Amino acid sequence: MLRTLKTTAAGLLVAGVAMAGTVRAQAEDMTIGLAVANLQADFFNQIKQSVEKEGKEKGVTVVTVDAGGDSATQVSQIQDLITRNVDALIYIPAGATAASVPVEAAKKAKIPVVAVDRNPPDAPADTFIATDSVAAAKTLGDWVCKQSGGKGKLAEIQGQIGTTPQIDRDKGFSEAMKDCPGIEEVAKQASNQWMQDEGFNIAQAMIQRNPEISIFWGQADALALGAAQAAKVGNLGDVIVVGFDGDVAGLEAVKSGTLAATMTQQTQLMGRLALDSAIKLAKGEEVPAMQLQDATLTTKDNVEPFLKDHP
Amino acid sequence: MTTEVTSPRAKRNLLPRIAFGGVAGPLIGLVLLCIAFSFASQYFLSIRNALNVLDQVTVLGILAIGMTMVIIIGGIDLSVGSVLALSMMSMGWLERMAGLPLPLAMVLGVLTGAACGLVSGCLITFARLPAFIATLAIMSVARGLANLLTDGRQIVGYPDWFTNLATVRHLGFFSVTVTVFVVLMIVAGIFLRYRATGRNLFAIGGNPEVARLAGIDVRRYTILTYVVSGALAGVAAVTLAARLDSSQPSAGLGIELDTIAAVVIGGASLVGGVGSIAGTLIGVLIIGVLRNGLNLVGVSPFFQMVVIGAVIALAVTFDTMSRERK
Repeated sequence: MLRTLKTTAAGLLVAGVAMAGTVRAQAEDMTIGLAVANLQADFFNQIKQSVEKEGKEKGVTVVTVDAGGDSATQVSQIQDLITRNVDALIYIPAGATAASVPVEAAKKAKIPVVAVDRNPPDAPADTFIATDSVAAAKTLGDWVCKQSGGKGKLAEIQGQIGTTPQIDRDKGFSEAMKDCPGIEEVAKQASNQWMQDEGFNIAQAMIQRNPEISIFWGQADALALGAAQAAKVGNLGDVIVVGFDGDVAGLEAVKSGTLAATMTQQTQLMGRLALDSAIKLAKGEEVPAMQLQDATLTTKDNVEPFLKDHP
Repeated sequence: MTTEVTSPRAKRNLLPRIAFGGVAGPLIGLVLLCIAFSFASQYFLSIRNALNVLDQVTVLGILAIGMTMVIIIGGIDLSVGSVLALSMMSMGWLERMAGLPLPLAMVLGVLTGAACGLVSGCLITFARLPAFIATLAIMSVARGLANLLTDGRQIVGYPDWFTNLATVRHLGFFSVTVTVFVVLMIVAGIFLRYRATGRNLFAIGGNPEVARLAGIDVRRYTILTYVVSGALAGVAAVTLAARLDSSQPSAGLGIELDTIAAVVIGGASLVGGVGSIAGTLIGVLIIGVLRNGLNLVGVSPFFQMVVIGAVIALAVTFDTMSRERK
């Protein structure tokens, strides 16, 4: 016991000396914390890669943490980033509503926050960067209406209930469906993690209940890909499957015809914009509170350039 | 469960002081970890960060207390994460939808956890299900119920005083939730080491048949242990809800594995009969410090998973090796 105590004491002493030496060296450059909801989702991973790439170019240190979809983990991670004295925080909320706790903690520590993809409604970040999901989902809905000839049976696989993208995509798509009375919604179910295996399982059950389904709308490419696979396994002949996000797997699927269409979000642009906004905020410059981006309707006809160079 | 395996444990029960020696291995690991992080990050070694770590391990720690007792009697509780979610959602549902005052809803949330534990305990003792299967079943049922309460939606809008339980540090040190965690640890530690009832748990884990012949009501103790584990999951649920300022049906997904890892790192044996609260505390802190330190250093999230897995394997190897030498 005594020996352990001695070791601890010695360790603390050495560490203290080491600390004193490093403080000054690191105060020079800027550090940006990047808290990602879930790196298993390609959409988030692309934003992460874009932020890190941009950070390297600008000479800014980016510290990335991944919550793996769990908001409790994310709260701890952001606490760590605050302790680490990051100059600004790029925050992609993991849960739907616990999202406000980290923003408040950062504000208390006077660290500016850039929210990406989702914005806590009760404690909005200094700026919010996302795709205009309502408009994009409406565009997609209109296209589906046209493509299907205005009739069919629609099955919808939603994202994580209560998150900004889920609510907005629901809203935009159903707006389009209002003008398209021939399409009947026969099934609607939420996923927990926006994941492909969830999409597969949910879609398979839907097909089991209603083999007549002719349109699958997955609120993320992964969900849509799962649904497409389920439709293939279930031998559903002529079915239109559409997704959202335009991540690499989704675009490949559009090219091969597995997905009929997707809405390509400008993840690279959003990543760059997030880092630029974070740097500006850290310097005390003004940034607009809302920075909504367009998404592009992507079909077989225009997918090629996106695959080569993602926007 | 052969006598060959149980005999060294029986010896350990006669000499509880050896159990204290068993803590030394993980403790050295923890200290080494702290020293390494102190060198690697200038932000690691501060009182503020130490308090952050305590904050971050509160939920895991409270769950691990119950898990320690369950593992000591030779059981396992896979349901803690789901029971946590169900307790959290019941609490939120009772307050939001049924209109009960929040303090009452908090108590009922804890009782929900205890009720789940009671069901697990009865399945194990009366229906004679293996603990693994009984708690696996409850894990699924509780997660389903947690989602059913609100159709998978989260519950928000708790009063400010509730969140303050987790965020306001009284006297600059301890939030209410951390205090609850520390007090529970101390109580459980004293109970397991110095109370006859606590010591009976070790006897049951060592050899249930011998324990029964020695006049211990094994059935009752088993049920009570799972009830305590469930109730603690309920307490953890309340602290997590305060920390997140919301209730989420997806909370605590997979946390049972972290909990088991913490208890095992702390020197407990999955065969039963061995374990201590002090060891578990150190196991919990090792996991907490590891996550915190890796974030502070800025290690890539993918690499973090690799490091955490390696440390768990190393810590337990170190522990079993030093045990064999004795």
